[in-house]
Amino acid sequence: MIVIVLEIKHLAIHNKTKQIVKDVSFTIEQGQWMALVGESGSGKSITAASIGGLLPSGVTLKGGSIIFKQKGEAPILGKDISYIFQDYRSAFTPFLTIGKQFDETIRTHSKLAKKDRTAAIFQALKAVNLPNERVYKSYASQLSGGQLQRAAIALALVMKPALIIADEPTTALDSVSAAEVLQLLHKLKEATGCAILFITHDLRHVRKYADRAAIMLAGEIVEENSIESLFHAPHHFYTKKLFNAIPSLQKTPDRLLDTQKKVLI
Amino acid sequence: MKKPQLPFVVISVCGIALILFCLFGSQLTPMDPTQVNMQDRLQKSTGDHWLGTDHLGRDLFSRIVAGAQTTIGTSFLVLALSLLIGVPVGLVSAYIGGTIDRFLMRIVDAFLAFPDYIAAIVLSGLLGPGLFNLIAAMVIVKWVGYARVVRSIVLQEKSKEYVLVAKLNGVGTLPLILRHFLPHVGGHILVLATLDIGKIILMMASLSYIGLGTQPPTPEWGTMLNEGRAYFYNAPQLMLIPGVAIILFVLAFTALGEYIRGKYQVNQ
Amino acid sequence: MKLIGKRIIELLIFLVILSFLSFVLMKLAPGDPVKQMLRVDDVAVSEEQINSLRTELGFNEPVYIQYVKWLKRFFQFDLGSSYITKEPVIDELAEKFPATLRLTAASLVVMLLIAVPLGTLSALYSNKWIDYLSRSISLIGASIPSFWLGLLFIQLFSVRLQWLPSMGTGTAAHLVLPSLTLGFAMSAVYMRMIRASLLEGLKQDFVRSARARGISESRIFIFHAFRYSLTPILTILGTSLGSLLGGTVIIEVLFAYPGIGKLVIDAIMNRDYPVIQGYILWMGLFVVLINSFVDLSYKYVNPQLYVKGGDKT
Repeated sequence: MIVIVLEIKHLAIHNKTKQIVKDVSFTIEQGQWMALVGESGSGKSITAASIGGLLPSGVTLKGGSIIFKQKGEAPILGKDISYIFQDYRSAFTPFLTIGKQFDETIRTHSKLAKKDRTAAIFQALKAVNLPNERVYKSYASQLSGGQLQRAAIALALVMKPALIIADEPTTALDSVSAAEVLQLLHKLKEATGCAILFITHDLRHVRKYADRAAIMLAGEIVEENSIESLFHAPHHFYTKKLFNAIPSLQKTPDRLLDTQKKVLI
Repeated sequence: MKKPQLPFVVISVCGIALILFCLFGSQLTPMDPTQVNMQDRLQKSTGDHWLGTDHLGRDLFSRIVAGAQTTIGTSFLVLALSLLIGVPVGLVSAYIGGTIDRFLMRIVDAFLAFPDYIAAIVLSGLLGPGLFNLIAAMVIVKWVGYARVVRSIVLQEKSKEYVLVAKLNGVGTLPLILRHFLPHVGGHILVLATLDIGKIILMMASLSYIGLGTQPPTPEWGTMLNEGRAYFYNAPQLMLIPGVAIILFVLAFTALGEYIRGKYQVNQ
Repeated sequence: MKLIGKRIIELLIFLVILSFLSFVLMKLAPGDPVKQMLRVDDVAVSEEQINSLRTELGFNEPVYIQYVKWLKRFFQFDLGSSYITKEPVIDELAEKFPATLRLTAASLVVMLLIAVPLGTLSALYSNKWIDYLSRSISLIGASIPSFWLGLLFIQLFSVRLQWLPSMGTGTAAHLVLPSLTLGFAMSAVYMRMIRASLLEGLKQDFVRSARARGISESRIFIFHAFRYSLTPILTILGTSLGSLLGGTVIIEVLFAYPGIGKLVIDAIMNRDYPVIQGYILWMGLFVVLINSFVDLSYKYVNPQLYVKGGDKT
């Protein structure tokens, strides 16, 4: 039985001067990794932000609906839906220890005793391959980018949400850390059964991890399909354009040679 | 040449008017502000005396106008002198760097560490009462603030690439300072200076009030406040009018400074 | 611990520099203290008496020797005696200082009571009517000369209504008008500072992240945004304290309040140099102490700046 976690219908978002998101609809099923692909300015981040009610001031939802789990109830931010942002440094408040912030989150959404909370935090940190005691006591400035993003993932997962919205979580990381982060995300998704809405502009990640993808251009979804269908038979010209732009390490492209057959670039 | 914006024009016109007033304002007083006339003392507003007279029969309106010249003119003078000393010191110190910079900054820090009002009071107190000493005392206290700000701006800019490029292209020291650093400095200083005028006026009024500034019979708003105090019960206008004058002018300059700051930050 | 040791040494250096500067200032200042002192007794003085007093005070010796002798006495906590009252300066300062301290503390309380609520409300409801109201009050308040406000208060509350005393000290009631005057004047500036810092704090990215975790707005405000804005607020508080100490001078004169502010003004009028010099040093000491406390407080507000790098593997 297919459980629908999130249903977006005809979403329209405006800022003071124009319409940023124009008529966006898609569905995410339980345990599905859904990618939202597009270039900067396509409206993908705003769409993601609107799901949790995190629109910045001046930007408003003007139409459409966001339905969580097909019920009438609104999802609890931080418990049913959680976020991972591109800027891992800003995921944590600089003058509070990591552990304290985990603790704060757990206390907001549950009534666990201190002992149980600490145990849950240690477990969450371990699941992302971080040394739990040390990180618990550390401040964000004491961790590297990759470590911070992994901690952010742990924080996003600690209340076992049904949906994780990851907004370009690896764009600011080096490729090794990025790969680690994505592998972890995938592993945890399989383990907990949560769904992931993955915002990105990098199609290589999409191809490797996503189940479905929606391509956004100028505030609209131009194509949406399963990964195999998309990659083997793209319909929209923009989708094709995106695919053609993916650099590959397998094919060595031709180099430009000068008259004496020496390499120029 | 593109047409200057309206606010800029308005401000410039007001500025020029103000400067002219400060220089020649005493010609505008309808009556001699120091003319004592004991028969007419403490009158309310009449045909001759638009705001009445003070406790020595002097025309209050004339005294306010003349006082404006003293108070505002002197404040601008203090500001100008402080900038004249502080900006070059800050520029040079930041540009040269090294031990000279550290030495100068130690002095600046020693000055800044001390609360400005106390320093001004002690300095002007020691130098003795009188307008000149007051100006000297305030300038000594104020210039350090500007030196510090200018220095930190220049230090920030110094490490930027365009400076390196200019130097590589052989731009000399003086043109470098004038053409590259000064514009950056100018904006900040303009905001600070405009906001500072109000503070200088208040400081001057406060010091005159305790008797450390201008002496009677020179009309100055702070001294007038002091003089008017004794007559508050039966002639409150002697104290209220100079007070309101001070408030209005400080308010105007502070509001102007905030406005400029708003514009400047938007441009940044 | 090492930090405190360093601070003490810096303090001493600062005081020595300050003492030297103030000593030079005294010597350069116009007016002859000896003549001034003798005139206090209102007696006609002879050349002889002037010279003997000069020698007695050591004014005939070269300046640097005078300074060295003064410095020696300084390290023995002897700041000399007042020319006027003949009492040891350090006693006079110690006697009058508590009154100034009380005034400063009371003014600080008034300032915070006005500035913190208004500044916070301004930040939380920025660009709504309450924000405009607060900012207008703050703008006008910053334009009012404090002593003028004090005079108005005296007229209203002391003369007309006869509710509060306008001079002297002795009861809590004596503190009310002076501290209200000073506190109000300072709060005008402080209020805008608080508003600006809080707005800055609320704009931070980590605030958005905390919201995304479902943390309540009030919790975010107190523990995340407000704490972030404490750093600039504390810095300005330190500077304000300096201004406050300076502002008390004017207010003490206005209200005839017997603190060290009034003491130094009288000393300036009477050319009582030892008192003036003692005052400068005493103030210098306090300013450094205040700055040190502010520095210490940073450690609690921003602990992450004081920890070591961490293992980034």
